[in-house]
Amino acid sequence: MTGPADLIFYFVAALTVASAILVATLPNIIYSAVALLFSFAGVAGLYVFVSADFLAATQVLVYVGGILILILFAVFLSNRISTVKISNPVHFNWQAALLCLALFGVLSYTAVSTKFPVKPGLSYQPTTAEIGELLMTRYLLPFEVASVLLLAALIGAALLSRPEGEKERSADMEEPK
Amino acid sequence: MFLGNLESLKYFLPELAITATILLLVAAHVASKNRRSAAPALLSLAGVGASLLLVGLLPGGPGTSLFEGMVALDGFAVFFKALTALATIVVVAMSMDSAELKDKSQAEYYIFLLSVLLGMFLLAAATDIVMLYLSLELVSIPSYLLAGYLKGRARSTEASMKYVVYGATASGVMIYGFSLLFGLTGTTHIGEIGRGLALGKATLPMFLAAAMVTVGFGYKIAAVPFHMWSPDVYEGAPTPVTAFLSVGPKAAGFAVLVRFFYTVFATPDAAAGMWKFSSVDWPLLFAVLSAVTMTVGNLVAINQKNVKRLLAYSSIAHAGYMLMGFVLLTPVGLRAILFYLVVYLFMNLGAFYVVILVANGTRSEEISDYSGLGSRAPFAAVALSVFLFALTGIPPFSGFIGKVYLFAEVINRGVYWLAVVAALNSVVSLYYYARIVKVMFLEDPRESAVLPVPAFPRAMLCLLVLPTLVLGVYWEPVIRVAADSVKLLAF
Repeated sequence: MTGPADLIFYFVAALTVASAILVATLPNIIYSAVALLFSFAGVAGLYVFVSADFLAATQVLVYVGGILILILFAVFLSNRISTVKISNPVHFNWQAALLCLALFGVLSYTAVSTKFPVKPGLSYQPTTAEIGELLMTRYLLPFEVASVLLLAALIGAALLSRPEGEKERSADMEEPK
Repeated sequence: MFLGNLESLKYFLPELAITATILLLVAAHVASKNRRSAAPALLSLAGVGASLLLVGLLPGGPGTSLFEGMVALDGFAVFFKALTALATIVVVAMSMDSAELKDKSQAEYYIFLLSVLLGMFLLAAATDIVMLYLSLELVSIPSYLLAGYLKGRARSTEASMKYVVYGATASGVMIYGFSLLFGLTGTTHIGEIGRGLALGKATLPMFLAAAMVTVGFGYKIAAVPFHMWSPDVYEGAPTPVTAFLSVGPKAAGFAVLVRFFYTVFATPDAAAGMWKFSSVDWPLLFAVLSAVTMTVGNLVAINQKNVKRLLAYSSIAHAGYMLMGFVLLTPVGLRAILFYLVVYLFMNLGAFYVVILVANGTRSEEISDYSGLGSRAPFAAVALSVFLFALTGIPPFSGFIGKVYLFAEVINRGVYWLAVVAALNSVVSLYYYARIVKVMFLEDPRESAVLPVPAFPRAMLCLLVLPTLVLGVYWEPVIRVAADSVKLLAF
């Protein structure tokens, strides 16, 4: 059970969990966002350990590079920036803590006690080509449906951010002369 | 038998019609300068109508799996596609009449509505958990936008926000359950998951996975204790959206609940139609879920002052009634759910239609403002009374027949206590439904001005009242279709 690879694994796992806890408990949302960065990066590391190279790269690109930056921008651009200190109030609630602890117990017991059928011989092969092929064959329908979902989400985002009222809208629509 | 991607396309025309309509709506929106024209509504009516027609023309043979096993084309899927398309058509008509949505940009609204419809089509047919999850999100995400469509109104924004937070949590829990199932069986196809689980003896993870998946589905059908979002969302969302959410996604939620559990957890010889894995007392679990759902829904509904909130709680209670058919996982019970969903579609959409018409005139959804509606708008008041009595389950209305089928299966299988709870609940529901009728007909109107009901809504109301009455005396064809649909549920 010991070896440099295992040590690194435990380090990455600890980093992921510890920063996830910090995300939930830190009082300032900026700090939370930064902790989230480490949690996301840690998950990318975990993907590497199960030989999911494409997933790891996507995790870094989309979550660390995209979502996180968006969260930070949303915080910076929101007009209540002056009250950012109380943006993530922490109330310790013993009922919730008890419930979470019980859930944690059940889930971890399940994970440890169950004999999941494990695919023997983990080999560190590139997966991108295989994923690409699967997306075009077996998972073609989900791949295409995802595009409709993204279209709807995109239009929704545009709608939410568009100013209300006729005046702005017509100014919006006017063509440059 | 899996069909490949190309061969599947010709069986996929209803979905393609909806997708094409969505794209047309986007194009029309970009091209036109008038954002309030009725063109998008008419276009969506045509698109959904065409899709409904195509659904009717499609053969729903058993065992045909499309797109490499992603979705099933069986009678069950066809039934729910027809049901949800019908609901969407009524909701489009409602939205055209709604004063709330008049001054909002139209095209996006219908784009979201049709996206949800596409999601419901796929959700009812999904046989692979990847597809299932994606279509569930396709139902959810545009629904969040629809709930918050009245951007300026704080209640609508609150509704949207609550919906997002609860929805994300429920999805997360459900995905965890799926991951356990995938870990146990190594496959994402639900038929194979069922076969894989039958080989192993891992009770705890299987139970945990089932419970977590139930959270996701229970959220969609608004079963207690996953119902917390629904009263606020139903009250804050534009009324046509509320009507849509209370019928469409709820039906799709039942579709996926039934398909998933029936495929994974029912014994293959479906004639007996019982739960396998008897190490867990599934019937008791779901009987409790059903009893709690209907009781909480009905008891909280008693005190509501707002019609939309009242109907929200009543729709929770109806989810509880429908879960009665699910308790024993027998084809007969599932048939009762399908039949009840048809009946529920007409009576619930009808009730919301009247709420919209009244709100157009009075700008209010408070029950006290319904006083004297019987003299101000007799047609709407009578129609609403019909829908409310049908919702209560009083003969000769169709709701009664729906409940008879749900009760019958529970009683036949000896779960008497659940039947007693449901009967008591029906009595409670009579109180708050009848209270609205009393306010409408026995109290003096606050204003005497006549509330006008234009010809188009009048015709639509007739079209909704008619099945509510007819299905109460002649329901045989519908129950036969429902029974066939369950029989054709592909493994």
